[in-house]
Amino acid sequence: MDSWTLLMEGFATALQPQYLAFAFLGVFVGTAVGVLPGIGPAMTVALLLPLSYTLDPAAALITFAGIYYGGMYGGSTTSILLNTPGESASIVTAIEGNKMARMGRGAAALATAAIGSFIAGTLATLGLTLLAPLLAQFAVNLGPADYVALIVIAFITVGALIGSSISRGMLSLGVGLFLGLVGTDWLSGQQRYTLGLPALSDGVDIVLVAVGLFAVGETFYIAARLRHGGVDVIPVTRGWRSWMTKSDWRRSWKPWLRGTAIGFPIGTIPAGGADVATFLSYATERKLSKHRDEFGRGAIEGVAGPESANNAAAAGVLVPLLTLGLPTTATAAIILTAFQSYGIQPGPLLFESQSNLVWALIASLYIGNVILIVLNLPLVGMWVKLLQIPRPYLYAGILLFAVFGAYALHSSPSDITILLIVGILGYFMRRYGYPVAPLVVGMILGPMAEEQLRKALQLSQGDLSTLVMQPFAAIAYGVLALLIVGGLWLRRRQRRYEQALTESIAVPIKADSEV
Amino acid sequence: MTVPASSGTEEQGVRVDHDGRPARRSPSVPIGELVFAGIMVALGVFAVVGIFLIHVPVGMKAGPTVFPIFVSVILLASAIAVLIGVLRGERGGAEEAEDIDDSLPTDWVTLAKLAGLVVAHLLLIEPLGWAPAAALLFGGVAWSLAAKRWWMAFLIGIVVALVIQVAFGGLLGLSLPWGPALGWLGRMF
Repeated sequence: MDSWTLLMEGFATALQPQYLAFAFLGVFVGTAVGVLPGIGPAMTVALLLPLSYTLDPAAALITFAGIYYGGMYGGSTTSILLNTPGESASIVTAIEGNKMARMGRGAAALATAAIGSFIAGTLATLGLTLLAPLLAQFAVNLGPADYVALIVIAFITVGALIGSSISRGMLSLGVGLFLGLVGTDWLSGQQRYTLGLPALSDGVDIVLVAVGLFAVGETFYIAARLRHGGVDVIPVTRGWRSWMTKSDWRRSWKPWLRGTAIGFPIGTIPAGGADVATFLSYATERKLSKHRDEFGRGAIEGVAGPESANNAAAAGVLVPLLTLGLPTTATAAIILTAFQSYGIQPGPLLFESQSNLVWALIASLYIGNVILIVLNLPLVGMWVKLLQIPRPYLYAGILLFAVFGAYALHSSPSDITILLIVGILGYFMRRYGYPVAPLVVGMILGPMAEEQLRKALQLSQGDLSTLVMQPFAAIAYGVLALLIVGGLWLRRRQRRYEQALTESIAVPIKADSEV
Repeated sequence: MTVPASSGTEEQGVRVDHDGRPARRSPSVPIGELVFAGIMVALGVFAVVGIFLIHVPVGMKAGPTVFPIFVSVILLASAIAVLIGVLRGERGGAEEAEDIDDSLPTDWVTLAKLAGLVVAHLLLIEPLGWAPAAALLFGGVAWSLAAKRWWMAFLIGIVVALVIQVAFGGLLGLSLPWGPALGWLGRMF
């Protein structure tokens, strides 16, 4: 059967009322949680993992697809409407959208972000539909050494390209790999690094680490320097029908498409995730725009392009996740744990063994995109209210939900102890500039790497050269070298660019505040 | 390959340093950063020492120590690279977030309160039941973060805890202990 027939069958499943309800629930909850300040997509997915403990696999995965897209989109509303500097990673988008909102054009910024996300999400899902089955077919023939090569690529790019310094990224990765080792070796039955503690003999649960790092660590980090006083949200004028003017449409449609074209391929390769894609899109739009002088002061192209690129990259990340079982971002790593909690191992065989499930999931991505745009434009008033939640209650809620998720895992208070320890680790990592994403990716990919490495070494009778002598693996290492050089070069450019940008717009801001 | 790549890290780390990133240089001794990097080096040493404590079954090719060797090398090498970087004056830029006021000093008292409340929560789940312990956690955290009215914080905490208990413990069947105060409610599901 070809992909289209299978996709139609997927739609038949995903359009059943109960699954449609789960898709709706996922998008709604994902957007709502994603809008909450201080919560990024990875934390959204980690916090909502308990939802999946009680659902059947198809319902859970469909819900998670919704949460993933919703959480991805929700963040842009926050950066556009909240009157505080956003995360430095999303700085370029935040600048333009926030400036537009301050000029009273917040509605247009939100609309172009929402429509751009819809278009990019849909086109990128189409790309996923076409590309994934081909890649899966190809990947079936890969041997253990080839997998080791792919995983090493993911390790090095995630470790070296995420965060501010390579050594800190690699250290974060190393800690994740180490945590993945703790427990009983599956092949020989030997205990490793358990210190003789029975609680550690089954290993440390990845859910505890993800929730601890993202939810508990982030809450501690913010609590230590919480901004007190009222919350400053930029008001949005009512009447969403008249949000985008004709000229807004004219200036937006090309950036939407260009953003998609940039975001999707970057999402599929492990090159540092959506940050690189949004930056590239922003730089491209700035170069091509006829309104270059508006950039840094609220140019609609600077919202339309990067937002599309961000969502297209989010769909692109699903390609290696579904076809190779390789998560290239922290969010994807957490989604992988949701799969694994059902005993489903994403990878080339997934398209054969769980064909119905995969195609229902892909179909639900299309549906989720439609729900996203239907929900987002009319409900913006509600999202604005969410932004105004008093911070003490917001962070109390996040911490409570994190602890609940940890306890619900095995109904064991000792899990909360581990959660707290990981949370404290997460606090210090943030404080001293270590990226936390490589840790999560390392922890989930570590056991997979070990399994493939030992398979490869058993096949070769312990000869290490097998790892680089396979043609595919050799090519993969060549590509890795290119990725690293290219990625580092891009990051250097991004930093200089952002620095120059911040300097160039710092002057008008100062002038504003003095008037 | 893992090993050469991680030793390459050291050189690249220094190169990044020459470019003026990742960090501002500061003359004062960053005690916290040094201690954290030191702990990471210790973890790396522990990982290396731990390899020798793993029992390898006789005649096993590619045994349980193969991968830990790779991991220990990455961990120890990158930890040493970070430590050297910190000693050379390189500082990790602290992460930014929307609700953070950079001008404030770290509020250790609040952090201690939060950690203490989590510990109290995990000790109270079994004797009091999940919902009361959760209400206490929520109310306590909101109060520690300077919620305007403390009774409001606990009131919201009670409502949120009851909703989670009924929705997840009652309707969805997760096992959350009801405790003595809510036992009657638990018997309804």
